[in-house]
Amino acid sequence: MPGVLANIPEMPNQLERTNFAAGLHDEFLSFLKTLQNADGGWGFHAGEPSRVEPTCWALRALLSHTEAQDTESFRKGAGYLQSAQLPDGSWPACAEMRAGSWITSLACSVLAADGQSGKNAAAGLKWLCDDFPRDSSPWMRFVQSLRPKSHIHSQNDSYRGWGWTPKTASWVEPTAFALLALRDAPAEQLPRNAAERRDLAVALLYDRMCPGGGWNCGNPRVYGVDGDALVLPTCWALLALRDAPEKPGRALSLAWLQEEFAKIESAASLAVARMTLENYGFERPHASRDLQDWSAQELTAQGTHVLAWVCLALDPARRWAPAAATINKDAAGKTS
Amino acid sequence: MSQRNRELVPSFSRPPSRVMIRKVARYEEDLLALIYESLSEFSLPVKDKTILLKPNLVGLDPQGVMNTHPAVIAATRETFLKLGAARVLIGDGPALDRDTQAILESVRLKEFTGMLGKDFCDLNIDDVERVELQTRATRLKELFLPKTVLGVDFLVSMPKLKTHHWAGVTLSLKNMFGIVPGSCYGWPKNVLHWAGIDRSILDINAAARPDFAIVDGIMGMEGNGPIQGTPKAAGVLLFGDDPVSVDATACRVMGLLPEKLDYLGRAGTMLGHVEASKIQQLGEQIDSVRAPFAVLPEFARLVA
Repeated sequence: MPGVLANIPEMPNQLERTNFAAGLHDEFLSFLKTLQNADGGWGFHAGEPSRVEPTCWALRALLSHTEAQDTESFRKGAGYLQSAQLPDGSWPACAEMRAGSWITSLACSVLAADGQSGKNAAAGLKWLCDDFPRDSSPWMRFVQSLRPKSHIHSQNDSYRGWGWTPKTASWVEPTAFALLALRDAPAEQLPRNAAERRDLAVALLYDRMCPGGGWNCGNPRVYGVDGDALVLPTCWALLALRDAPEKPGRALSLAWLQEEFAKIESAASLAVARMTLENYGFERPHASRDLQDWSAQELTAQGTHVLAWVCLALDPARRWAPAAATINKDAAGKTS
Repeated sequence: MSQRNRELVPSFSRPPSRVMIRKVARYEEDLLALIYESLSEFSLPVKDKTILLKPNLVGLDPQGVMNTHPAVIAATRETFLKLGAARVLIGDGPALDRDTQAILESVRLKEFTGMLGKDFCDLNIDDVERVELQTRATRLKELFLPKTVLGVDFLVSMPKLKTHHWAGVTLSLKNMFGIVPGSCYGWPKNVLHWAGIDRSILDINAAARPDFAIVDGIMGMEGNGPIQGTPKAAGVLLFGDDPVSVDATACRVMGLLPEKLDYLGRAGTMLGHVEASKIQQLGEQIDSVRAPFAVLPEFARLVA
């Protein structure tokens, strides 16, 4: 036994662990910068054409460095986002698309932090707040009311969030991203109906929570069977509800995430779950994997967004987590 | 996907399709030998070609009941390489969970295939190309589809034998929902649900039709599929050079009437054969493997 024990490396202390994480963060962030395309954007994989979504996540990761907004890398990235914006204020999922999408929320979140992109962010937020999902329109609800009581879903259609694509249906993740965009924006960028949209969306998130806590894409119960929660939708929903009124479901969902954390085996879920738990002030439980198990190249192979999420999770300064909500009902009502 | 497969050909102008049914009781059997023997019967034009296997990887599935089993995927990949393929890619774009890596870990794909590296493609975040839809079964005029799918020489749909609570069944045609990139259309790919699932299946398969289909029916799923249903051991693998015929045959194995399934009935007019008389049956006969699947009350009309 002594021989076996002698081979066990000494556990690093807290300071060493923190320094190690900071070193890893710098290493991954440096690698992320090397993936930036000449047009300022990032593709989902090295060498692929720039897309708005990975560009938003990469810029979000860059913002974890002090004075990041003044760096050439950030300025080029913000320039790419500005050039990719559609005339109606939205952002498309890929260059050839001529319609906006859920990615508008991500772009608004990033550009809200950039003093030189305020108009772009404001136009994006206006598009977001004007986009109502069609499944919960008064007409659709009237049609639904004429049908026999549905045994398929049990959700409340009077709540309205956001869809992945405009004028379709509300889903958990795009609703969460839109709420985060509204939270990240300074009051002067918010359209008049921002507070109303936020209240409806918060109600929708709570309504779509799985009975056992957590969220999946937005089907908590189908044909009488409870849906299983998933890590990523649960994290985005929890982050979006961080400053919303406390309800029992949120604590239940946090408990679900804490229990699930130990079983996570993928870098993407691990990174986002870690951010979420820390955002709520929870010590993260022991997990079967750690973010240092993957190299920057391995993470990039899973997608630039995954590398960016890991950078955000390893950020020693925790700059990904704004301390408090910036949306304010009164302020929102006075703007625009 | 081969160029010839982009053409819409009325059923009466098509040669008969070929579908093979093989009995396989367990995933532990020698699948490589069985699949190699089966595919060799079809004399597929795959030498020196790039193949894409599109399994159904719909969610976290440590029990192996909702996704195409990794043993089937790995044996199929090995078979195509033995048949002379230059490269065999595996790709899917899971519909409900964007953490594709988590799904791969849960099904332990790597343990069966070995390290895949760039031979696995997450179709949800692949580079995309605009495709104008010819069929216009839905109101959609175009879809942005993964360049990997559009660029390969030979596309193989590899679904699980399952019932589906919105579409009735999910087989090789419905499995192609997984090529539609979530990065453009979300998780789930709501634009398709909004446009109508049945009709979207037609548009997608007309735009990117599989050259071949292999259905994992060793362990299927009945009832409230594709995720929350009940495991159903059917003990079969199905192979065929026409995905419409493969799906029609799979329905018959499940004790369902394919012509009563809206999308399959329509697919039979332009994408392949549904009629049994136009399908050359190889291997086992349907009657010898029939295993009636339970369906939700909404789909009682499908039961033979």
